[in-house]
Amino acid sequence: MPAPLSADIVVIGAGIVGALAARRLARQGASVLILEAGPRLERARIVAAFRNSPIKGNWMAPYPPSPWAPHPIYVPEDNGYLKQAGPYPYPAEYIRAVGGTTWHWAAQAWRLVPNDVRIKSLYGVGVDWPMTYEELDPWYQEAEELLGVAGADDTGSPRQHPFPMEPVAEPWAMRRVRERLAPTYAVVANTVARNSRGYDGRPACVGNNSCQPICPVNAQYLGINAVEAAEAAGAKVVPNAVVFRIEHDAKGRIAAVHYYAPDKSEHRVTGTTFILAANGIESPKLLLLSASDKYPNGLANSSGAVGRHLMDHPSTSLTFYADEEIWLGRGPQSPSSINTLRDGAFRSQHAPYRLDFTNISQVLNVTNDLIKEGVYGTEFAKQLRWRAARQINVKNVLEVLPNPDNRITLSSEKDAMGIPKPEAHYSIGDYTRRAAEVSKADFAKIAELMGGTGLRYSAEGNFANNQHITGTMSMGNDPASSVVDAFGRTHDHENLFVCSTGVMPTAATMNSTLTAVALALRTAEHILPAKKAASVNASSDHKASLA
Amino acid sequence: MASEDLDRVAASRNTLVDPSRRRLLAGLLTAYTASLIPWALAQPAPHADRGAFTALSAILVGRQVLDTALANRIYDALVAANPHFPTDVQALLTLINERHIDPQQLQGVLDGEHSPLAPLPRQILGAWALGVVGSGKDARCVAYETALDAVIVADVLKPPTFAYGVYGSWSAKPNAEE
Repeated sequence: MPAPLSADIVVIGAGIVGALAARRLARQGASVLILEAGPRLERARIVAAFRNSPIKGNWMAPYPPSPWAPHPIYVPEDNGYLKQAGPYPYPAEYIRAVGGTTWHWAAQAWRLVPNDVRIKSLYGVGVDWPMTYEELDPWYQEAEELLGVAGADDTGSPRQHPFPMEPVAEPWAMRRVRERLAPTYAVVANTVARNSRGYDGRPACVGNNSCQPICPVNAQYLGINAVEAAEAAGAKVVPNAVVFRIEHDAKGRIAAVHYYAPDKSEHRVTGTTFILAANGIESPKLLLLSASDKYPNGLANSSGAVGRHLMDHPSTSLTFYADEEIWLGRGPQSPSSINTLRDGAFRSQHAPYRLDFTNISQVLNVTNDLIKEGVYGTEFAKQLRWRAARQINVKNVLEVLPNPDNRITLSSEKDAMGIPKPEAHYSIGDYTRRAAEVSKADFAKIAELMGGTGLRYSAEGNFANNQHITGTMSMGNDPASSVVDAFGRTHDHENLFVCSTGVMPTAATMNSTLTAVALALRTAEHILPAKKAASVNASSDHKASLA
Repeated sequence: MASEDLDRVAASRNTLVDPSRRRLLAGLLTAYTASLIPWALAQPAPHADRGAFTALSAILVGRQVLDTALANRIYDALVAANPHFPTDVQALLTLINERHIDPQQLQGVLDGEHSPLAPLPRQILGAWALGVVGSGKDARCVAYETALDAVIVADVLKPPTFAYGVYGSWSAKPNAEE
């Protein structure tokens, strides 16, 4: 029988957000244990799995779920893990593994724009955040320095200190888009956790153009880098530990968590402080699963808000052929965007958005189109080259407002471990749909400026999802309407914190990871202030004192 | 087509081919189909079924030279998925031979006649172009960086996961051959 597990800090979920909170706390002297439901993965095996995959357009294919910690898979067929209650489908993708979902991401490490945290006050929509942008700024900076963020200054997000790195070298295609759209639109370098030079022992990008599903060379910061940094700081990771219940004591403090090993043996882990960092779907699922006599609606749920206000970023898009050869696919996948529509008085009427240009190689899509069209003979190669050289895609990244009816609940169906599956209830509101309509004029203008032909708009009423799961454990000052306070502490349980994109009370228009990391670092500081840690560490026993 | 004509077409392009193998492949073709794939005539064909597959592949993908090892891999995978595949290939090749069907018109002709052979060209082109045989749950990857979609653009792009070049090399204008 192994020794019972215990630590000052128990973190549930070994993704980028939880791991960076864990790292910070471990460096300040706390003993830290990270429980991860999924297995450890190896980069080289993921690269090989992608190259050998028959469905290369599906970036989840190299990440098959483990039987004990399933995650949603939709191609070649739906594995039925994330149940869909409708009315609109919410086919979220995420990875349950050590390192989490940022094994495959485009490394978009965006800050909010300042007005994103005040949309209720300024525009009468959504909710205000319980903090200002200025309060977030130093935490963004700390996050950016950890991840190694490269960016441009003209994206609408002010900063006190420079980016750690210069923007990543602009692909030729993006240069042509920038030149031809000026001055109507300002196309700027995206803010990315991708190296434009050697940084923190990792190399500069060499343009593998496979940021999703996997950066083969470690030029892009991933959750696994965060996990390894946490381990280097002294944190211990237990993979394949499927937490299924959080246990509280009579006073409502968290006493322990319970996990299943893959053989379904049960284990109890005690701790002083607990951090829930298992993403915006699995975390609320776990809170709901942990209902007890004292908390019949689940833990941290006196407000009834756990799982509610589910948000993401729906996208519509336009694909067309430019009138010159630009050859997408040289350099990283997502290098440039238009940021001027992320804020404005129009937010009282419709959602703001970013306009994002892909630099993903078009060869696969074009080849599939030609096969579908039955283009054979010498025309095949000719058409493939012509289209792959000219095809461009621009999409919007639309804000969704918090709506209590959009939510994650527990399904009546159970997974192989006997744990209820998550169920998504989702719809896309008029605020977002109006913006999609407005952005069509931008799409058309962009196509016109690029000499576009063969314009193909995404199907009417169809929105692609961006896997930026937010809102399900929203932060706020009022315990009656929010799950955690401004520091990520649950209103209901003094020693239970949440570090996740799920604490973001609104979704804004940018990928949510950097904001979640910044908030998690702030939470870690709140749990164990650096100053206090310094004095504690100076003492003889190095025992962590927890706030 | 007279065998001496075929010999002349093939010989003008490649004089190092085993004549017996060349004749085997040539025997599958008419003057029309041979005119579509003169280079392919010079490719070795170990037996008639594989020869017909090579000839049909060359017509469909519009290339004169095909990777023999990959041809064998694709052929074996397609036969494993469908035991009638060799017969279907012969039938489609015969159809093209007899009716002088332009590759550009082929799918339209097959679809228009509700031919049972209609799915075949897409299966073969898909295998060569994407390196994928089969579909859905039964799909198998038989090639990646040697699949034609990678080969056709290899002077400009690397297949995803392969490094493009040193940092920033992608900022230069692509040096595409026309």
